[in-house]
Parts: sequence; C-alpha cells; structure tokens
Amino acid sequence: MYKYMFKQFLRTNTCKLGLFLVLILGVISISIGKQFLKGQERIGSHVTEKQLEHIQRNVELHSEDIGLLLYYLKFAVISEVSPLAALSIGQKDVNPSVQSVSILTLEGQKYDSDLVNPTKLLFGNLDLSFILLYVFPLLIIAFTFSLKSEEEETGTWRLVRIMSKSRLQFLLAKLSVRVILLLLAMCILFVLAGLILSIPFGMAFLAFFVTGLLYILFWFSLSFWIISLKRNSSFNALALLSIWLTLVVLLPATINNFVVTKYPVPEAFTTNIKQRDGYHQKWDTNKRETMEKFYARYPQFESYGYPPEEGFNWLWYYAMQYLGDEESSKESEMMRTKILQREQMSRKWGQFIPSIHTQLAFNDLANTSLSNHMYYLQYLNDFHEQTRLYFYPKIFSNVNGKEVDWSQFTPGYFSLSSKVNFRQIFLPLIILILIFFGLSLLNMRRESRVY
Amino acid sequence: MRKDILLLIAGQFWKNVFKSKAIYLLMGIVVILLIYAAFSGMSYHDQNHFREDHQKMARESWEANPDKHPHRMAHFGTFAFRLKHPLSFFDFGIESFTGNAVFLEAHKQNMVNFSEASFSTSLLRFGELSMAMILSTILPLIIFFIGYRAIAAERENGTLKVLLTQGAKWNEILVGKSIGLWGIALLFTLPFFITTFIMLLIEGHTGTDEWMRLGLITTVYLTYTFIICLITISVSAASHSSKNALVILLGLWLLMIILLPRTSQALGAYFYETPTKLEFRAAIEEEVIQYGDSHDPNDPHFNHLRDSVLKVHNVNSVTELPFNYSGFVMSQGEKISTEIYNRHFNDLLDQYRRQNMLSRTLALINPYLAIKNLSMTLSGTDFETYVDFQKQAEDYRYNLAQTMNDLQMKYISAGVNSSEGKLNVVDRSEWKSFPDFKFNPITIGAALRYEFISIFSVILWLGISVLFLRYFSKNAKAI
Repeated sequence: MYKYMFKQFLRTNTCKLGLFLVLILGVISISIGKQFLKGQERIGSHVTEKQLEHIQRNVELHSEDIGLLLYYLKFAVISEVSPLAALSIGQKDVNPSVQSVSILTLEGQKYDSDLVNPTKLLFGNLDLSFILLYVFPLLIIAFTFSLKSEEEETGTWRLVRIMSKSRLQFLLAKLSVRVILLLLAMCILFVLAGLILSIPFGMAFLAFFVTGLLYILFWFSLSFWIISLKRNSSFNALALLSIWLTLVVLLPATINNFVVTKYPVPEAFTTNIKQRDGYHQKWDTNKRETMEKFYARYPQFESYGYPPEEGFNWLWYYAMQYLGDEESSKESEMMRTKILQREQMSRKWGQFIPSIHTQLAFNDLANTSLSNHMYYLQYLNDFHEQTRLYFYPKIFSNVNGKEVDWSQFTPGYFSLSSKVNFRQIFLPLIILILIFFGLSLLNMRRESRVY
Repeated sequence: MRKDILLLIAGQFWKNVFKSKAIYLLMGIVVILLIYAAFSGMSYHDQNHFREDHQKMARESWEANPDKHPHRMAHFGTFAFRLKHPLSFFDFGIESFTGNAVFLEAHKQNMVNFSEASFSTSLLRFGELSMAMILSTILPLIIFFIGYRAIAAERENGTLKVLLTQGAKWNEILVGKSIGLWGIALLFTLPFFITTFIMLLIEGHTGTDEWMRLGLITTVYLTYTFIICLITISVSAASHSSKNALVILLGLWLLMIILLPRTSQALGAYFYETPTKLEFRAAIEEEVIQYGDSHDPNDPHFNHLRDSVLKVHNVNSVTELPFNYSGFVMSQGEKISTEIYNRHFNDLLDQYRRQNMLSRTLALINPYLAIKNLSMTLSGTDFETYVDFQKQAEDYRYNLAQTMNDLQMKYISAGVNSSEGKLNVVDRSEWKSFPDFKFNPITIGAALRYEFISIFSVILWLGISVLFLRYFSKNAKAI
C-alpha cells in the first residue's frame, strides 16, 4: 500500500516538475555559492600575495623618510569567510571581507564599501538559503494542498473510508510520502553542497542542516493543519499561499520598513564629516594644542616633545591624523549603537517569525550576519591602534625604513568562532511544529468522531 | 459586440464579487498595506533632510577655511550626498542598495558609502514594502483570486450554457468579464495613485518632469493590471475546473514574479564576473604607475615633462617659471589618473549592464520585469539614475581638484613645494566662489532611453493578452 502511494505520487506532474525545479535551482544556487566563495578566496590570496610586494616597493622608494613611507603603506585585514557562507551569503556581499587600511585616520577608511552591482543586490542572491526558505515551502504547498480534498473531489475518499482502517493513518501515510521525498531532495542538495564546496562536517554544518530540516517540517505541519480544516482544494491553495506570502514577503518587509524608519543612521554622515574636519582643521591651528591633545591620549610619547610652530613635521602630522578619529569617535559610537539596535530589533521580531528566524540563524551559522561585520569593524579598530602604536615611536624618532622587520606584516586575520546555541535556534521552530501538528491531529480526531 | 450586453455581464460579475465577504477583507488588507507603504515611503524620502543638512554642514566647514595653500583645500575636499528623487517614495527601487555619501578629494575617487544595506540585517533581503511593490507583486495575486472562477465556475455549475443559449456571444462574455474584473482591479489600484498624487502635491517643489513621470507611472500600471485581468479571464476560460484555473494562475505568479526575476538576475551576475574593489583599484594603480608617479622625484615621465616645459619657457629651473610647477605637475597627474579611472569605471558599469541584461531582456516574456524596470526608472530609483549621480559627483571632484591646481599655479610662487604653513596661501574668498555640489537628476526623456525593451514589452503583452482572449472566445467550451 505504502509503496503504491509512492509510485502513484511520483507519477504525478506536480511531483516530477516540483522535484526537478528544486533540484535544478538547488544546483544553480550551489554553483553561485561556489563562485562567491572562490571570489572571496581570490581576494584573500590576492592581498596576502600583494601586501609584501607593496611594502617592499614602497620601502625601496621611501626608506629614508619613514613618515612618508607609512603615509603610503596599507595593511589588510581579512575577515574569515566560512565555506557555509556559500550557502547563505547574507550580508557578505554588501560588507567587504577585506579592508586595507593605512595608519592615517581610520574613520575615513573603515566603512569603505565594496564594488557591487546594486541591481544584483536588489533582486537578491540565489543561494541555498533562498531555496530552503522560499522554494521548499512552495513545493510543500503544491504537494499537499489537495492531500485530502483531491480524494473528495475525485470521489475516491469514500473508497478510502471503506477500505483503510484509519483515515488519519491514510492521510499521514500520504503526507509522509511527500515529507520523505522533499527531505530526500534536501539531503541530496546538502550532500552536493558539502562535496562541491568542501564544507567540513562540523557542528555549524550540522546545525545548518537541522535548521533547514526543522523549517521544512514546520511548513509541513502548517500545511497539514490547513488540510485538517477540511476545506476544498482552492481554499487550501489560497490560504497556504497567503500564509507563505505573509511569512516570507510581507512580514519581513513590514518589519524592515519599521526598523529603517525607527533607526535612521545620519550619524554615519556626521562621522564622515567630523573625521575630516578633526584632522584637516589642525593644519590651521596651533601645533602645540594638537600635540597636547595627542599626548593626553598617548602620554607614553610625550618625551618626543613639541615641534616648532613653523614647518612640517611627521610627529605633528600623525597627531593630526589621530585627532580625526578622536574627534569623530562620539558620532562613530552613536552610529555603531544605532546599527546594533537595528540588529536587536530584527532579532526580537524575528524569533516569532519562522522565515526571519531561519534566515538569521543561517547567517549566524555562516558568519555572514550584520553582527559578524560589526565584530570585524571592532577588530579593525584594535588592529589599527596596535599598528599605529608599533610605528609611532619609529616615525617619531625617524628610524630608517629598512630597519623595520617587515616580514611580520602579513595581513591581519579576523575569525569569529562562536558557539552554536542549539536551543535558541531550534526551539522556536520545534514549538511551532508541535503546535500545528497537535492542532491538526485534534481537528482530524474531531472529524473521525463525527462520522 | 454589443455594448449593453458587455455592461450587463461586467455588472453581473461586479455584483457577484461583492456578494462575498472576502472582497471586503482583501480591500481592508490592501488599504492597510497602502497606508503603511505610504508612511514608509514618506519617511524614507525624509532622509533627504539629513542629507541636505549634512551637505550644508560640509559646505560651511569648507567655506570656513582660512587663507590656505590650495593643495590643502584639494585634500580638505568636500562631500556629495545623494538626494532621493521626489517620486522615490512610490518605488524604492535600488535605493537601499546604493551608496549615499561620497568624499570628494584630489587624486582619489572614493567609494560612495553608507548604503542602507550596509546598516541592515538580512531582513532587508526579503524585500521592501513600497506602493510599487504592492501594485506589481501583490495586486496580480488579488486579481487572480477574484477572477479565477469567472468563467470556470460558471461552466461548472452550468450557468455558462444558459448564458450562451440566451444569446450572449463568447467574446461578449469574455470581454464583459474582463471589463468587470478590471473595474474591480481599478478599485484597488486607483487609491495608490491618488495617494501618490496628494503626496507629490504636499511635497511642494514639484515640476512638470515629476508630474509627467507620475502620469506615465499611472498609465503603465493601469496597462499592467489590464493585462493581468485579460490573462486571468483567458486562463479561467481555458481551464477544465476552477481549481485548475487557480493552480495555473498561482503557478504563473510564482514563476513570473518570485522565481524568474531572482534566478535571471543571479545567472546574469554569474556569467559576467566583476572585479572586487581591490582588483579594480589595483588595475587602475598599475596603469597610473606605468604613466609615472608625480610624487617620485626621479620619475622618467615627469622628468621628461619638466624638461619640455623648461624648454618651452626657455628657462633652466622650475623656480624661474611664470607659474608654480608642482601645481602644474599635479594638474597633469590628475588629468591622467582621472582618464584612466573613468575608462575602468565605464568598463565596470558596462559589465554591470551586461549582468542586468538577462533580466532586462526577459521582460519580453515576463511583463512583471518590464513593469518593475519602468517603475524604478520613472521613480528615479533605477540603476542609471544612480550611475548619473556617481558621474556628476566625479565631475565635480575633478573640477574641484583642477580648480585648486589652477589656483596653485597662479598664486603660489614658482618654486614652492610644501603646502604647510601660512606663508604660501591663497585668499579664503576663493573657497566661497567655488560652487557647492548640486545633484541634477536626469530628465524623464534621458531616463527612458534605457527602457525601450520594457516599453516594448508592455505593448507586446497588451497585444498578446488581447489575442489570448480572442483565441479563447473562439475555442472555449461551454461544458
């Protein structure tokens, strides 16, 4: 009987077309992920390769004047890209994973965006997370909306009622055929992804898989609940599609509009202007004042004294550059706070909405979320300060550029290894699955009592 | 076709739809969405205030500079903040993904930074709720929902046969139903344009260009809904059962509006790879270095340049020249590097256009894409309008750098190299007399130049859907 159910379903056009579609799209999405990953790796190795060359070339030209040398030198900081990022590109395409910064004012450098085609961003990435989030639920809807009603509408339901021991069991068997097929498709895609992208099998990958699995089961339970309401096929199709539209389009868009409106970030512009003024206006002000401000922050350098008011001096120059950062630090901090508030607000709402919750979980697992980038920027701050503090004394005492050990200046590397919080990721989905499945069983039971 | 019969059938359809409570629910939902989208659009557009304020702030700080060496001013630089088009509240387009502020200084073309996307979580990637989005994405679904039963259900319960035997012709039934459905669709659509009209009116400084844009937007969307209505009725006439009609229509919606656009854009990007920022910059730098480094005192290219300049002026050293030589060198360097940059940048833009081409061409088989492109263009939130901003900002930057170089050549004495201190300076009134950046959005005519395919597609689809309807009015079955 069960075998027959499989055969019967496999023969339908919906099934053939649906599975074909999801597998094709899945393979495309994995290829796109692969291309993305390769691009990221290419940038990583490009900067690693070029950095030493870049340093050497400039040391050759300007070793006599280390102040000038450091004006030209740039140091890259690479943010690690997990192979999982190929499955859920998240914000990684907007926020660059490599920044090359000099020891001049950082605020003017660290927000430098990458080059991306905005139209491409608008249409969105076709990565595996999209397939899981959008396409799988659609197939679930297409496969199940007439699970019971088709039997009624074609008149076979009576036969079922007579022939099978339990109607509920019959429906569950039918449902499980669809669950098994779709999970199989999902497994195929994950295996393919694992092989093609050489994703190491670890906690993150497993959690990614289970999150996808639970999300799919959530949709099955939701669909089953609609079926259990005993309406006709058209009603089921419309109701399920409306729910789909609400969950993956309307609600996320509504919340996003709300977050953007509630937390605009004009501080970004102010920071940008202030860092420029903070540095540039010092060209016209008293040098001593500039130095005093600099020494207030870094008293360890006070022994280098105060340069004469007339003439150019690197000590003064780098003090000016530093003040660009200092005088915009308040706005910069406010900007950071705003962005984190946006993040928190999205998460707060997201936990109640499975689509958002799943997407955010995917991005967290793939290290492609906004918060990941915020940590990276924080790391960039520390990296910049350390580099400055290393070079300041060398510049201030005008050491020859050749005396510096440049081999240590390979690109900085930021990697975030956060523990996977299974409960936080899985629990909301599990609760929803139980609720909807429980409700459906209740509805079904009620029905069997009526007959 | 008899007019009275058409109106009778349309009216009958209209009455039938309003018998069910579902239509009021749908209307309620759409009105709520409209209000929310209008508010969002307004507050998005209000971000212009921040931008205007910061443009002013940057300008004040520019003008406040004391007497200075012009090269210091070239590095002091200024900012260009991108202002949103008045109609951007209707269709957000690509605005959330484009940069909003760029620092303009000598020697260096900076990135346009601080896009909304860079401050956002992945929530943004689910899409945004704008009036245009509701009309182009949600409304077709609503029309399908209202219309899928139009013919199929009448056939199922036998009333179609009655209608035909009473003397109504097939084409009258189909056209009548289409008109009825379109009438209801207008009920949903018109509030959007009335709202947009009022918002544009409140905006104040609206010119003919904006009104023309709104007029075209309205026309385009009304045509779109008409096409959708014709398709709905055709499918309903062609399907065995209303359930089948619904399934086909929903499938069409998913394919045309959800799956195809994203897939085609992603594939376009997949086939035409673009350089990352680092690769892009490295390629330009390499070419500029080949020309020569104006900061390197032993550079052959610039040494040659110096020698020829000395020769022309018949002097032995740069200090004897009638102008400041380092200003001259920098203006030459700026010219060369800008030329190289612009060439690379235009190549990059062409590559982006190639990426977009697939989904733009697919507009021919997918009217949704045509509408989306047209709507963005008319709302001033499309790719080309953004490119235009970048170009205007770059032109201003170049102009600023060269003006400062000219001032340096003119006012700074010949042999001076350092830009530090109060000795070699230019009067501060010069800063004020250099005008501030002002963005002039392209006119509607220029904007539409890139939209031939989309315009053609809308006309084409209008034709196709009329043909569909005609075909089914000849080949449909009554039972």
